[in-house]
Amino acid sequence: MALSSLVFIIFAAICIGLYYAVPDRWKWVVLLIASYAFYLLSSPKTFIFVLLTTAITYIGGRLIGKCNSEHKAFADAHRDTLSKEEKKAAKAASQIKKRKIVALILVLDFGVLAVLKYFRYYLQAAGIFDTGELLIPLGISFYTFQSAAYIFDLYRNKIEPDTNIAKFALFTAFFPQIVQGPIARYDQLAHQLYEGHRFKYRNLTHGAQLILWGFFKKLIIADRLAILCGEVFGNHGDYSGGAVFAALLCYTVQIYADFSGGIDIARGVAQCMGIDMPHNFRRPYFSHDLSEFWNRWHISLSHWCRDYIFYPVAMSKFFGRIGKQLRNVFGDRLGKLFPVIIAQYCTFLMIGLWHGAAFKYIAYGLYNGTVIVLGLLLEPLLKGALAKLHISPASKGWKGFQIVRTFFIVVCGRVFPRAASFGVALTMFFSMFRINHGVPFSETMMSLGLTGIDYLIVAACCAIWLMISIYEERSARINGGDGTTAFREMMDRLPLPVRWAILLTGLAAVLVLGVYGPGYNASAFIYRGF
Amino acid sequence: MRETVLGILTGIRGDIDFENETRLIDDNILASLDIVAIVGEFNDEFDVEISVEDLVPDNFNSLDAMVELITRAQE
Repeated sequence: MALSSLVFIIFAAICIGLYYAVPDRWKWVVLLIASYAFYLLSSPKTFIFVLLTTAITYIGGRLIGKCNSEHKAFADAHRDTLSKEEKKAAKAASQIKKRKIVALILVLDFGVLAVLKYFRYYLQAAGIFDTGELLIPLGISFYTFQSAAYIFDLYRNKIEPDTNIAKFALFTAFFPQIVQGPIARYDQLAHQLYEGHRFKYRNLTHGAQLILWGFFKKLIIADRLAILCGEVFGNHGDYSGGAVFAALLCYTVQIYADFSGGIDIARGVAQCMGIDMPHNFRRPYFSHDLSEFWNRWHISLSHWCRDYIFYPVAMSKFFGRIGKQLRNVFGDRLGKLFPVIIAQYCTFLMIGLWHGAAFKYIAYGLYNGTVIVLGLLLEPLLKGALAKLHISPASKGWKGFQIVRTFFIVVCGRVFPRAASFGVALTMFFSMFRINHGVPFSETMMSLGLTGIDYLIVAACCAIWLMISIYEERSARINGGDGTTAFREMMDRLPLPVRWAILLTGLAAVLVLGVYGPGYNASAFIYRGF
Repeated sequence: MRETVLGILTGIRGDIDFENETRLIDDNILASLDIVAIVGEFNDEFDVEISVEDLVPDNFNSLDAMVELITRAQE
């Protein structure tokens, strides 16, 4: 059941209706039944794996929670009698016990993910395990990472363990988010799912607006550009020069429209029930450098990697010690940067692997990691060059150049995950610099499955999207905050007839201009495959 | 201690008004690279052990919050 299908909208509408029909204390039960029904309707053969991850994580969470409370009770009871060293030793003993439990749960949770998603073909080829009949469970990367975050947060004593397995099952499988995130944190989402919200007209209208906006991006922009990208990437040998660059550019827009559109639909459905899921995008193509880009793109994944990979590696005593030794050889700056560089590569290796096991995904991670590391290493040179050229880093011209430069780096990097393989990605990348003398560029563009009207529609809708993004960006700069709700708040201040006119025009645009396949089903979301 | 902390912070990010900003993490003003650099400097300067567990927004949102974090770590 695709998030952009009519069936999903009917399903979500019934769920929202039932949610408000039952008393507050039973609302979470409605959500759990709806979430499991959604999963069984979408991916019945793999349902058992969601149950498995839920059970493992729940039991593991209770065990870690027990260690936390035992240590706390011990520390409280002996607060005045133990020396500082004894307190440290007691804490270390508790940490070791917790680490063993965490390691076991992670091996089990990620083991399921690894077998079903990464090693299935190798295991089958080696005759060790027959995975031929098994599909990859829907949303497995999303719910596994969300479960791992829960375990890490318990280990760090940031949260209390859930004591109700049915409620925890809802946290793991909440239906709007299980397909493609955002990967929520327990302390952000769980209480909202469990507490039950009274009906508020504002929640319903805001949620509906978000859903409509998601459909606008997915059906009008993403699914239209998917036709062009499918043609060029599917027949890459036939294209070179500007056509390949245009396809990469279109894919850069397509994946943003597709993924953020899906997230808007998911967040919108949740918002209709008063549940505020985290943002996953913050106008990423306005970033000044690639680090900032990853702080604005797929935020829930990059923050997951930041909190559970980057920080632990960058701040680890082991890499810190090596960094200190390297200071004597390479100087203070490089020595200090060493743990950060290692952490960056670990982070982007994980981001690459998160998308899949193929080498093209690893290359995608390494490409991003290397660009960021080069940026760090060359920073003093760049600062010196700017000073010599009398260019102020705060000037509008330089800032604008940085945005264009970062966008170009992102566009080039997109070739890795989208191309059929790493080899194809390289071939396509270098074919961009080969000029096709035979057919004029405009003629090639008209042969990629889109008509002139299609290009006009995409351009007009992207212009609307760009204007909204600029408005939000300006609002963030002037008023502070992240600006993600600035446009909606401005809409709220408009007179009612104007607001309705905008919304109805948007709805009409989705119905008339959306790209629909057989049976009026939209094409699948790209991130649904992860 | 406050002055030393302020000196470290402005040494790493001279473009931020640390005296008045109170949402350094919540508003994405400080990046993860800044945090790692700041923690490294704090650990060296004040001989404390700020760990990954301490990396929560409340501890780094403002100058005062960071001073408080170091004070706690010294106890």
